[in-house]
Amino acid sequence: MHPLLTHWRGLAVYLLAWALAGPALAALLHALGLAPLSWALPWTVPLCGVFAFVALATYYPCRSRPVGAANWPASLGYRAGLIATLATVMLGLAAGWDMAGSLFGHPQGWVGLNHRGIALLAAALLGLLTLSVLAHDLLIAFQTSQAATAREAQARLLARDMELELLRLQIDPHFLFNSLNSISALTHLDPAAARAMAIDLAQFFRQTLDLAGRERIRLEDELGLVSHYLAIEKQRLGDKLATAVDAPPETLAALLPPLTLQPLVENALKHGLRPRDDGGLLSIQALVRDGWLHLAVRNPVPETPSNETGLGLGLRNLRERLCAHYAGRARVHWGAKPEGFAVEISIPFETTP
Amino acid sequence: MTLRALLADDEKLARRLLAEYLRPHADICVVAEADNGLDAARAITELKPDLVFLDIQMPKLTGLEVLELTGRRDGVIFTTAYDQHAMRAFELHAVDYLLKPFAQARFDTALERARRLLGQAAPELERLVAPGPRLTRVLVKDGDGMQVLLVDDIAYIEAQADNVAFHANGREHLKTQRISELEAQLDPARFVRVHRSFIINLAALQGLERTDSDAYIARMKNGKRIPVSRSGYERLRTSV
Repeated sequence: MHPLLTHWRGLAVYLLAWALAGPALAALLHALGLAPLSWALPWTVPLCGVFAFVALATYYPCRSRPVGAANWPASLGYRAGLIATLATVMLGLAAGWDMAGSLFGHPQGWVGLNHRGIALLAAALLGLLTLSVLAHDLLIAFQTSQAATAREAQARLLARDMELELLRLQIDPHFLFNSLNSISALTHLDPAAARAMAIDLAQFFRQTLDLAGRERIRLEDELGLVSHYLAIEKQRLGDKLATAVDAPPETLAALLPPLTLQPLVENALKHGLRPRDDGGLLSIQALVRDGWLHLAVRNPVPETPSNETGLGLGLRNLRERLCAHYAGRARVHWGAKPEGFAVEISIPFETTP
Repeated sequence: MTLRALLADDEKLARRLLAEYLRPHADICVVAEADNGLDAARAITELKPDLVFLDIQMPKLTGLEVLELTGRRDGVIFTTAYDQHAMRAFELHAVDYLLKPFAQARFDTALERARRLLGQAAPELERLVAPGPRLTRVLVKDGDGMQVLLVDDIAYIEAQADNVAFHANGREHLKTQRISELEAQLDPARFVRVHRSFIINLAALQGLERTDSDAYIARMKNGKRIPVSRSGYERLRTSV
């Protein structure tokens, strides 16, 4: 469809211009003493009306044969043919309608076109049609470049989504192989514990793969994933790791993006408890209040904090992810507290998917 | 002859697995276990075990840092779960290492190799852990334990009998080393041997004072005054 047709204001201005062009042309003919106004008007007004639509219609052939770097001679020839054909048709129409004036009591025709008049009209038509084709080609080029930009933006968005998806699926190899080593050690020391750890490890990876494809999950499912992870880490760290999960029943149905808590728990162990000589308590707390779900992960930190950077980056990513998900209605805060390090999240409390 | 072994891994289960794999080797006894890099470095320095089973990823110091700081080069068997950086370095320098989880047979092979090379400084390890051209940190005694000092924190170093004393953050830390050896390892643009017994950190220098006897004294930011010898003064003048 022609872009002007969906743009009623632009269309109205365009039609009004041509509606005024009819009487204006008649006035010009009258001023030049070629024809009286009352004879010229019935000839100019309908012709301008028809030409208004013919000029617009050049959009379609232009769009079907866009000018490209490779085919420019062919498309230029096509446009010349188009302009010549339309000009001829319009000229025939103008001459025919002029002669039809005899039927209305003007034996010379409405304006009495002579050879000079026809030549002048032909030149005007050719000029106007060329202008129309040029304008449409410009418009099409603009539309094409805009569409390309939009497609590019769309592609970038998709690539980002894919990247996130991959990141979520990414398995921490250090965690995997160390856990397998612990299982290997337990097979001799405590076969039952070895089996329990193998099952926790399988469940952890299965649920990670399962959750990654979903947009939002219940807090209960996220905590399930965390509990398998913590069971494995407790076996690896021994009595260095104590955990306290406080999630009242009304919080369990709350929805949140998958893998919101899990990376925080991994961070708490990596940067907080593991480097400490005597470990400590990792606490996870969930709370529903005034339509908000509040989550907190707290852990003690080593006296000399690890110099590994990347912690702030991970937290900023989480903040961005949640803000994008909740259109800015999510809060993520973190910082050192007397009892250690704390990350606090507040998101709207929602339970229906 | 009994061989004495150190097991260094931050996970108790991993250490128990090593102990289990060592059981068939009756001539090896475990003399110490360490669950972090600093304890491992201390055990290596104090106990001088024949064999060291060394995990790469440990709190406080990595396995490679332990070797860098202790200067230990022989009888080391690395273990690692997954550390791409270290694994690439091992491959590059043809250093043997055990990938967790490993089988008894693989463990025995690595042990056999380490045993055969016992007492010989391993050139591939030397290349692997050779510290950069300039020292960035030092391992020092700290009461009963050990501590890692950043050279940036050191104000000045003083020779004391067989030891050198590092003055850093208002405290004194001892290490058994010769001051001339240390001088060669430090960046000469930042550390200057101003006296037979003193190296100062230029960043901690406040100013120079001239004494009546036409000698110089370096006044440090912490108020300490350090004698400057004639040749020390020349070195100081070219550095500042």
